[in-house]
Amino acid sequence: MDDPVIELSNVSFSYDGVPVVHNASFTVAKKEFLAIIGPNGGGKSTLVKLMLGLLKPDAGRIRILGKPPKKVSHCFGYVPQDVSINRSFPISVLDVVLMGRLRRHKGVRIRKQDYEAACHFLELLGVSQYKERRIDDLSGGQRERVFIARALTTDPDILILDEPTASVDTAGRTELYALLRDLNRTKTIIVVSHDLMVMSSYVTAVACVNQQVYYHDENEITNEMLDMGYQCPVELIAHGQPHRILKTHEEGP
Amino acid sequence: MIEALQFEFMRNALYAGLFASLICGIIGTFVVVNRMVFLTGGIAHAAYGGIGAALFFGIPYIYGTMGFSLAAALIMTAVTLKVPHRSDTFIGVLWAVGMALGVILVDLTPGYNVDLMSYLFGSILAVPASDIWWMLALGAVTLVLTLYFYRDLIAISYDMEFAQLQGVRVNFLYFLFMAMVAVAIVLIIRVVGLLLVIALLSIPPYIAEKYARSLGVMMVFAVGLSAIFNVAGLWMAYCFDLSSGASIILVAAAGFFISLFIDTIISVRHKKQRSKI
Repeated sequence: MDDPVIELSNVSFSYDGVPVVHNASFTVAKKEFLAIIGPNGGGKSTLVKLMLGLLKPDAGRIRILGKPPKKVSHCFGYVPQDVSINRSFPISVLDVVLMGRLRRHKGVRIRKQDYEAACHFLELLGVSQYKERRIDDLSGGQRERVFIARALTTDPDILILDEPTASVDTAGRTELYALLRDLNRTKTIIVVSHDLMVMSSYVTAVACVNQQVYYHDENEITNEMLDMGYQCPVELIAHGQPHRILKTHEEGP
Repeated sequence: MIEALQFEFMRNALYAGLFASLICGIIGTFVVVNRMVFLTGGIAHAAYGGIGAALFFGIPYIYGTMGFSLAAALIMTAVTLKVPHRSDTFIGVLWAVGMALGVILVDLTPGYNVDLMSYLFGSILAVPASDIWWMLALGAVTLVLTLYFYRDLIAISYDMEFAQLQGVRVNFLYFLFMAMVAVAIVLIIRVVGLLLVIALLSIPPYIAEKYARSLGVMMVFAVGLSAIFNVAGLWMAYCFDLSSGASIILVAAAGFFISLFIDTIISVRHKKQRSKI
């Protein structure tokens, strides 16, 4: 087996004394499609930011491709949770995507290869016709796609998406996950999400986060995970297509 | 206006206004999109402590103000980066302390009285040629740094976490930028006064922001608007024999309210059109 892409051992983190992540240990293998699920405030986004090296753990060790996260931040393509940041900021779609090429070039001028890369990924996500528009003229779903294009423009090994489907409609969601499955052939993918159902056929591992992290390297969502992750599993099941989860539940030991 | 330009002081005032427009348009754009108008105001007011310190210790004015405003900028930036949600309180405190310290130090300096008004409104009609050269140099440095770091500055202003992942030295750039703001404020206060600096840093970029498709366009708009406000304000001051700094501010403010008015009309029209469909 390959060396793990992500390795957390006994990682803890707290905001102002309030523990958010407690003693998390797990490893993510190469080309895994990991779903991080859990209740609001359970520490999903914090866990992601720890992996990205944007936050420093209070205790424990994080290794990305065998190195500390800050040393390998170029390996990440990150799609943040809130794609409506800085709404009145005057910036074109193209300039947002070109941020993905910052590492390679300084100055005002746009290099041809960077421009072509940006256009390629905008095309891939079906939003290239908006590239000259101001980003805040786009809808939430279109902005989400632009941010994914930006993440891909960095040519990442690991793609991390924090709640990517929050502002996307059902059809768009299915399409988005199909795209992620394609990308999964070459990249490790981590998705923070509530949409267990749509994802469940693509994911290869599930991490359930509620301060503690329960890691399952199989595509299954067990009853115990649901109990731990959500206060009311019944409500969760009522929101989506229940078949998959119930099946796993019934087949369980 | 043309005949006014035969006076050297009038020409100098015009140059000072135009160079201040260049600097304020560029820096102000970042100040506005990063929501740092209050922080900038804090630095500018805290710099008054430097005037008092310079008088009290008998050192040149520029060292005192530059020292105070740089120190204030560094402390305020550090606090902003550390505790973003409470930094405004801290800035307010430093703002007040800086000014109070300035006033007390002036009080304690025997036989000398500085006119607070000239600090607030400057004296654009009495700008010496040497100050014009300083402003030109600063304008050039600002322009070069902004062009070099253009994309990094966009990234940290728009999405700091992503910028960090892209290897942008976020803290370094933030401090560099705030140092630029501090230096600019000190140099420009001397010429046009504290209130005009804040007006020029905030009003033209704010108007430009709504119509610009990119930060670069916003800067060009802001510099242009600011230049128009300066020339118009000076002309008004000359014609009606008014205070120049205050005239420029009022012209800029008129521009600000006119732009708000136009926006309201446009959005009402849009709504009407939509309801027709």
